This record gives sequence, C-alpha cells and structure tokens, in this order.
Amino acid sequence: MWKSLSRRLSKLVVALVATLCLAQTSSELRSPNVRRVGDQLACLCGSCKNTVATCQMLGCHYSGPAREKILTMVSAGSTDDAIIKDFVKREGRRALAAPPAEGFHLLSWVMPFVALGIGLWAIYLYIKRFRRPAPAPVKADSALLERYHEDIERDLAKLD
Amino acid sequence: MENLGAISILLALCLSLYAVLGSIIGKWKKRPLLVLSAERAVYTIWFLLTAASALLVYALITGDFRLSYVAGHSNRAMPLVYKFAAWWGGMEGSLLLWCWILSSYSAVVVFTNRRRFRDMMPYVTAILMSVQFFFLFLISFPESPFQVLAVGRGITEVPDGNGLNPLLQYWTMAIHPPMLYLGYVGFVVPFAFAMGSLLTRQPGDAWIHTTRKWTIVTWGFQTTGVLLGAGWAYAVLGWGGYWGWDPVENASLLPWITATAFLHSVMMQEKKGMMKVWNMVLISTTFFLCIFGTFLTRSGIVGSVHAFAQSPIGKYFVAFLAVGIALTVYLILDRLEYLKSESRLESVVSRESSFLFNNLILLASCFAVLWGTIFPVISEAVTGEKISVDAPFYNRVNVPIGLFLLFLTGVGPLIAWRRSSVESLKRAFLIPGVAGLVTIAVLIAAGVRHFYALISFGLCVFVTATILIEFWKGARAIAAKSARNLVAAAVELTHRNTRRYGGYIVHMGMVFLFIGFTGAAFNKDATTEVRIGDKFPIGRYELKIRDLLDGDNDNYTWRRAVIDIYNGGSQIGTLEPEQRLYKASRQPTSEVAIRRRLNEDLYLNFAGVTQDGRNMAIIQSYVFPLVSWIWVGFATLLLGTGICLVPPKVKMQYARTEVVGYVEKPVQAPK
Repeated sequence: MWKSLSRRLSKLVVALVATLCLAQTSSELRSPNVRRVGDQLACLCGSCKNTVATCQMLGCHYSGPAREKILTMVSAGSTDDAIIKDFVKREGRRALAAPPAEGFHLLSWVMPFVALGIGLWAIYLYIKRFRRPAPAPVKADSALLERYHEDIERDLAKLD
Repeated sequence: MENLGAISILLALCLSLYAVLGSIIGKWKKRPLLVLSAERAVYTIWFLLTAASALLVYALITGDFRLSYVAGHSNRAMPLVYKFAAWWGGMEGSLLLWCWILSSYSAVVVFTNRRRFRDMMPYVTAILMSVQFFFLFLISFPESPFQVLAVGRGITEVPDGNGLNPLLQYWTMAIHPPMLYLGYVGFVVPFAFAMGSLLTRQPGDAWIHTTRKWTIVTWGFQTTGVLLGAGWAYAVLGWGGYWGWDPVENASLLPWITATAFLHSVMMQEKKGMMKVWNMVLISTTFFLCIFGTFLTRSGIVGSVHAFAQSPIGKYFVAFLAVGIALTVYLILDRLEYLKSESRLESVVSRESSFLFNNLILLASCFAVLWGTIFPVISEAVTGEKISVDAPFYNRVNVPIGLFLLFLTGVGPLIAWRRSSVESLKRAFLIPGVAGLVTIAVLIAAGVRHFYALISFGLCVFVTATILIEFWKGARAIAAKSARNLVAAAVELTHRNTRRYGGYIVHMGMVFLFIGFTGAAFNKDATTEVRIGDKFPIGRYELKIRDLLDGDNDNYTWRRAVIDIYNGGSQIGTLEPEQRLYKASRQPTSEVAIRRRLNEDLYLNFAGVTQDGRNMAIIQSYVFPLVSWIWVGFATLLLGTGICLVPPKVKMQYARTEVVGYVEKPVQAPK
C-alpha cells in the first residue's frame, strides 16, 4: 500500500513540476530574479564561457534547464544562497561562474592585485634609483645662449 | 602530389637547420660566404613552403580526398573562397600557414638588410630559422598536412569531404586567422633583432629603430585579427557577444597587450635612453606569449570552442617555450651592463612616469587575463577540483584596470617630458576634466545609474578633449603662421609628426572602442514565439513576422523569417534572419540579421520553429546600444596605425636634452 501511495505521490509531484515548467514563459525565465542568480552560475554546456543568465543558445542542454530550476526554486521561496548551494552540490564548484573567494581559490582573486602591488613597488624602486633631484638653477652664460639661439633659428628655418 | 608537398616541407626543415648552423658558424669562424649561403637558404625555404602551400590549396580546391586534411576540412559543395580558407581551417594547414608567413617575413628581413647590420644579421637569421625549424618539425612529423588516407599499404579516397566547420564559413573568418597569424608571427622579427643586439653586445637602440615600423605593422595585424574575430563572434554565434573571455580569445589578446606596452615604452628608450632592460623583457614576453597562444589553441590543455582538436604536439611547445625562455633570461642577465640607462628620471610628475604607469597597468591587465586563463588548470592540478573562470571574473578584475588605462590615455599627452609644474597641470587638466565631469552629471540627470558606465563615458569625453586640444593647439599655431584653415593646418600638423598625431588617432580609436564596450551595460533582449502576422516589442521597436520562407542549395538548406520593423507606428525596414543546415556536416547555424546604427543595433536571430505542433517561429531579438562604435574604433585604430607608418615631413631628432641653465628675462623667439 505504501509503495502504491508513494508512486502516486511521485506522479503528483512530477505532474506539479511539469505544470510549473509549462507555466514558465520565456519572459519569466529571463526575469531579474533568474538573472541575478544565473549570473553567478557558469553555463556548463562546454561550448561557451557564458553564465546561466547570459547563455543565449537556444536549446542549450545546460542553461535552459538551469534557468527553469532557478525559477522553480525562486518561486518556491528559496534564497539565492540556497539555490547556488544546490547547484554546487550537484555539479561541484565548477558550477560557479567565478572561483569562490576561499581557500586555494582565493589566489585567483588576490594574484592580479598582488601583481599590481609588485609592479607599483618596482616602479617605486625604479623612481628611487633613477630619479635625479632637480639641479640647482645656474644662470646660463651668454655664449651658450647664443649657441642655442642659433640652433633654434636653424631648426625653425627647416620647419618653414 | 602529396609526396611533392611532404618532400618540400622536409627539405625546408633541413634547410632551416642549415641556416641556423651556417649563420652561427659563419659568424664565429668569420666566413661571410657561409653566412651568405645561410641567407640564401632562407629564400629557398620560402620557395619550398610556397610550393607546399600551393599544393595543399590546389588539393583543397580540386577536392583531392585522398588527403586526410582535404577530406576533413573541404567538400565539393563549398564555395571557392572557403575551399581556399580551409588552408587554415584545421591544425595541420594552419601550422603550414604559420610556417609560410614566417618564411615570407624572414625572406623580407634578410633581403632588406642584405647590406645593413652585417654584424647582427647572422644571429637574426639564426633566431628566425630556429623558430622556423620548430614549426617545420611539427608539420614534417606529428601534424603533416599531406597525410594520405590509407588502408594497409593502399591509398584510399572518400567520395566527398566533411567540409569546413559551417561556423567558419563567414567572410571575416576567411581573413581573421591570417591576420592573427601575421600578427603572431610578425613579433618574431623584433624579438630576433632584440636578441641579435644582445648577442652582438650593442649598447644602442639600433634594433628598436630597425624594427619600429615592423612592430607597428605587426601590432596593426594583431589588432585587426582580434577585432575581426570579435566581429565574427558578433555576427555568427547568434547571441550578439563579441568577446567571451574564451581561453583562445585570451591567447590572442595577451601578446597584443604586451606589444602595446612595448610600443609605448620604446619611446622612453628612443628619447631618453631609459628602460632598455624593460624593453627587452617586453618584446621577449610578447614573442613567448605568441608561442604560448599557439600552444594553448593546439594542445587541448584548456577547453575552448575555438581550439583545434587535441593533439600530442603540446609537449613540443612546452619544450620549445622552456628552452627559449631559459636562453632569453640568461642572455638578458648576462648582457645587463650593455643595457644601462643613459638618463635619469627628473620628476615623478612627468611623461616618463606616465609611461611607467601605463606599462604597469597594461602588464597587470595582461597578468589578470593570463592568470584567469590558466587558473582552472592550476586549480585542478593542486586541489584536484575543476572550477570555472568565466566572464564575471574577467569583468570584475579587468573593467577597473581598463578604465584606469583609459584615464592614463588622457593624462599622458597632458604631462610634459622631464617635468610638469602644478600650474601647467592645472591649465592642461581644466577643460578636459570639466568636460568629463559635466558628462557624468548630464548622464546622471538623464537617469543613468550604472557606476562603471558613468565613469567610462566621463573618461571617454576627458580623453577626447585632451586629444582635440592637442590637435587644436598645434593646428592653430600652423594656421596662424601659414594662413591655412584649421583642417588643412591639422593635416599639416599630422604630416609633420605622423608618429605623435597618428598615436593620438589610435588613442581616439580606443575611446570609440570603450564607448562600444560601455553600451553593453544597457543591452536588452527577448525570446519570443510568434506566428505569421504577429507583432512583438523590443526596446523602442515593434517587430512583425511577415513571412517564413525556405529553400536549399548544394551546400545547405535554409529557412528564413521575414520581419518588418516598426518604430513609432511607421515601418523603418525589414530584416531577414536565417537558419541553415549544412548538408555535409549536418550542422545547423544561424545567419543573424542586424540593423546597424551608431546609437544602437537591432539584432535578430531566427532560432527555429517550435516542435510541439504549433509551428511558431522562435525569434531572439536584441538591442545593443552603441556596439557599432567598436567597429568605428577599429577603423580609427587602423587609420592611426597607418598614419604612424607615414614618414614624417620633419625628421625628428630625439636629442637627449638636459637643463643647462636659466635666463633672467624671457627669450624672444628669433625672427
């Protein structure tokens, strides 16, 4: 009897989910709620580097069902975190569109800025080493000035 | 025919080894005839590879399906242009194209320098031919384009080939790969001259002057390759994206970034004799990133929709990169005393400093892209766990870096060489700064709230103002002196210093690119199922399905939606997006229809017909604001690059000046 009841219950759940799915119009699948969560999840179809929210391939075997699942869970009142955790539970952390900022994967976020910091430090060292303080102003003597005037005149004549 | 092709490549392989050894031994033993014969080997290699390439193209065009490459990448129904493009449509053919371009470049380098740099040229030839040898080895043994289809000892033939991947049967794809290869391969030349300069212990900048135009042309090809690829993705993939941060896309961007940094920092060496070590590092990094990009595309180390099939050649690339990098690092460290700076930095607020920061930001961006590209591999190796590094990562890291770079693009021209006073900075920044801030205020008042979009538009106006002021100041002076109008004076100004003003035009191209990128913050899209006669809205447009047509030709069957576009109740045009099914590969593709305008593109993709008996057309419609500015920016970049190559009317001497004294009264300009 329990078996038969559970089978009927399963059928009912499937029917409910199917009804929900049929009711999901394309505009609902692109709603802000679905986009917000979908933007944090990678499309794992293997032929694009988009997120679940931005993958536009019609009939994509991953992003399409993923958007439907997000919509179903959002409609059922799940939080964004709960939905993302559910995807990670099923697919592993590759389901996330960007590496998590924890453990070893924190390196992915930190390293570009560490590199920038090292670059700034290198520039500081370069400036410290190669910067020459401005020389004390010395009055130019007239012979030198005369020579520069001649140079300028010659260059300007060439320009004309 | 396959034997002729394979023998040509094998002979070229032997000759490249001869050219390497002949150049080095001839130089060491002081035997000029041996060096000369090594240089003649370079010409012979070009003839041999031209013959091999011609044979492969002939086989592709005539449909010689005994060849495995032809059977895999061509078929009888393909249009002639794509049969030709199949030359680079697969791994083996594209490697042959690599070799042919390198041999052409090498022949040009050897010919144009046959009476110059006789001290350095043997090393330049040896380095060019070492790279040639490596790539010829790949197409001689593991990836031969002349491999025949064989059963036992008998050659067999298939009745028709698989054809070129339908996604590649698009006009930009016919020219995008050669452009990219012209860029990738071209960077071998400045690298070879840089190493030649180190090997001959030259303290000067001869290698930079010699390869300046070469580097600019190569940079132009690389830019063209990258942006044609973006144009292809936009028009072919059916979702309007032009950049997806795919590993292979990133591989083409990395050397472009370091080459851009190099083009800026060489000015420091030319004008001030500074950053000599850094320039060596930059050109070497650019070259090795080109090889790394080729490795990434062909090794299967990272998954990519653009990559060639997995191949065993990855290990050869790793070995080549390891040996090449080790030798280069050793050479630079060993020759440090020849790379000493000739001047010093006089002030932190100077053009020199702005170049330092420009280089830092470009390199940081390059590292972020490289790090994101290889991090999944590192993560899997260390933790055993696969992770995804997709667009959100790159956007979060690179958008602020890119905007700071845009800011520096505007700041650079405003700061004087050597030092700038606070007063002069105030004067220079006032108008561009106010223009940028007013733009941001106007956009906020108009309801724009996207933070990065506001910053980006503000900076675009700021940079545009700095560039226009630079042109205006120079043109006004010429106009006053020579009684010309401002436009003629601006042309004259540009002609007098093509490099400087061509560079500003390139900067203007970058501004246009940023305008196009920023438009993405306001994209709209909708997927709609409609019957003939139905109307549906997208943005300010209303679309009506007028008809659904179908038909076929030798290559594919097609189905087309005829869609009328209305704006404010009146019809403004018709678009006909199409869906194709290629017969040979049974692969469907989308031929999107785009109404391109400078303010926004209306982009329609006919994604098919519902299969549930309702027979409704599925239309994906998008509005992409400002995206056309990317292509305007591309054209402007090319124009600026072209102008930089024009010889200047006034020969510039980059005298390494210094302050020798001051005068008490302002000096009157001589009459």
